[in-house]
Amino acid sequence: MPYLSADRRRALAAAALGRAAQEPGPLPVEGESFHSVSGAILDVSPHLIVIDTPDGDEERLVIAPWATAWRGEAVTPADLPVGSNVIIRALRAGRVVDRIWADITRITGVIQSIDAEGKDHSVELYCGPHRGRRTIVIPYRASGRLRVRHPQFEPGYLFDAIGVRENGVAQARLPATSQPPYRWRAVPTPPPGYSGTQSRISGTATWSDTFDCGEQGVAYPMLERSDTACDDAGVSCTGLPYLSLGSMLNVRNVCAGRTSVLPIVACGCLAGRFCDRCLECGTSPRGRILELSPSSFVELGGDLTAGCFNARLGMG
Amino acid sequence: MLTTIAAGQLPVLLLLLAAGTVAKVWTVVREAEPGMLSRLGPAVLVPERWRKHMMLVCAFGELFLACGLLVSGRPFFRWAVIAFFAVSTYVLWELRRRRPDVGCGCFGEVSAVPVGRRSLGRTMVLTAMSAGLLLTPEISGWEAIAGMTWTHLPSVIAGLLVLAALSPEIEEAVARLRYRAPCEQRRFDPATALGRLRSSTVWRSHTGRLTSTEPVDSWRELCWRFFVYSGQSHMGEPVDVVFAVYLSGRHPAVRVAMVGSDGRPVETTSLPESLPVSA
Repeated sequence: MPYLSADRRRALAAAALGRAAQEPGPLPVEGESFHSVSGAILDVSPHLIVIDTPDGDEERLVIAPWATAWRGEAVTPADLPVGSNVIIRALRAGRVVDRIWADITRITGVIQSIDAEGKDHSVELYCGPHRGRRTIVIPYRASGRLRVRHPQFEPGYLFDAIGVRENGVAQARLPATSQPPYRWRAVPTPPPGYSGTQSRISGTATWSDTFDCGEQGVAYPMLERSDTACDDAGVSCTGLPYLSLGSMLNVRNVCAGRTSVLPIVACGCLAGRFCDRCLECGTSPRGRILELSPSSFVELGGDLTAGCFNARLGMG
Repeated sequence: MLTTIAAGQLPVLLLLLAAGTVAKVWTVVREAEPGMLSRLGPAVLVPERWRKHMMLVCAFGELFLACGLLVSGRPFFRWAVIAFFAVSTYVLWELRRRRPDVGCGCFGEVSAVPVGRRSLGRTMVLTAMSAGLLLTPEISGWEAIAGMTWTHLPSVIAGLLVLAALSPEIEEAVARLRYRAPCEQRRFDPATALGRLRSSTVWRSHTGRLTSTEPVDSWRELCWRFFVYSGQSHMGEPVDVVFAVYLSGRHPAVRVAMVGSDGRPVETTSLPESLPVSA
């Protein structure tokens, strides 16, 4: 069955139930709002960065004196190589650079095989029915730090790391979480919900790089398999309600006090299998409740290298 | 007296074996959620790819023993049942030692409670019950049941009560019935919702407006399932007719709206003309 667009579903559902169709976007916040700018670096100097956006436009942004950058490690913005794909957190209507992440990638999947390539390791991951398989490299210098947080380094266990793309190869650098101790198909059942669904659900929000560049939206684990053609959907250790592609969510970053209304645009079948906790501002009360696109994550005040924030979720 | 008590356990054993078979097959066929078998008894002791097979082997083994007891009076089946429950006791003991987090899987997914003394005690009692069958005459179970009198009834009831007292599954089943998950978290078959839609008066009053027989899109949001059909408005313009079916309850609410290509609802009924009122 073809899938109508998220906007169309929202309009149809609103008409059928007689409710107002809320438009996606950030809600007003006290203080400065964040904007995300994505693209490839055309030129960079200590004070100015020029970006080629996916729309083909050229964006010129001023680099704030306090701005920092990350490309596998902390670097000064002026040292970023031309051609790098960057995600920028910008202030002042998106004209002033606050933070830059260059060639960053999130490597989330199920370990399929591990091969040694000299001192490095090549790992094949299954990233879900929609995302397929990918092969990543764990450099020797990062392996100790990754293995400490991923003790079950064998097929069938979950893997989650943050890395950089270099020459078309994803290289893991930082562990994004502590690896769950169970196999990916043995997700603990959520505690039984004896009463009506809560109007707000608190848990962990992470990000994923499988969205289109600059796309705003979330991947949600509790979708009907028949609606999404995702055989691994509908599994979550947090007791989430069923929603669909196109449903609008009100996502609040509890740590930063920022809120956005975002559509569900993808199946978060792997996110639901992580019962880990985020420790950004206190321990999150539940495991992962959604994955955000990098742009949405940045606009909600998240730090891509931290990998998560404590979120509160409601219907948009 | 002892023979009467032992003979009264035959229907209890047959019932238990049949229930175990049905529950295990149901769990494998339904597999409500991926990974369910990794939390259940014998399946968890084998590699992941063999878990379904292991569960089915256990189920059909129980079916074989139940059929053997029912139609044959040969001692082989009685000894096989004793061996089955004795081995089950050992497996549960090992399971409790090696994987204290998993259930016994004796009755499929309902037996997801970690193996405890009661589950162990139950298999011991079943072993003793099946050993008692050796005291009874060597006739088929069918003949034995047909020849039962009221004197066997207390023995049957006592056997059932002992097993019920040793079954944590009963509490689990009662809890599931008593505390159902909220509608938003329960699975519902889209085909059932479609059936409910097509039997509703809202559907019948709008079928004339539809230009497609099958929905062009369908999705679920919380307790509502939406079905979208292509249709025509009263003015003859192409519209999307969207039905919303509430998923819970015997007579669920069904709502409908017609939405134009601009995303705005189209009035489904024309407003009544005003009537002249005489003073």
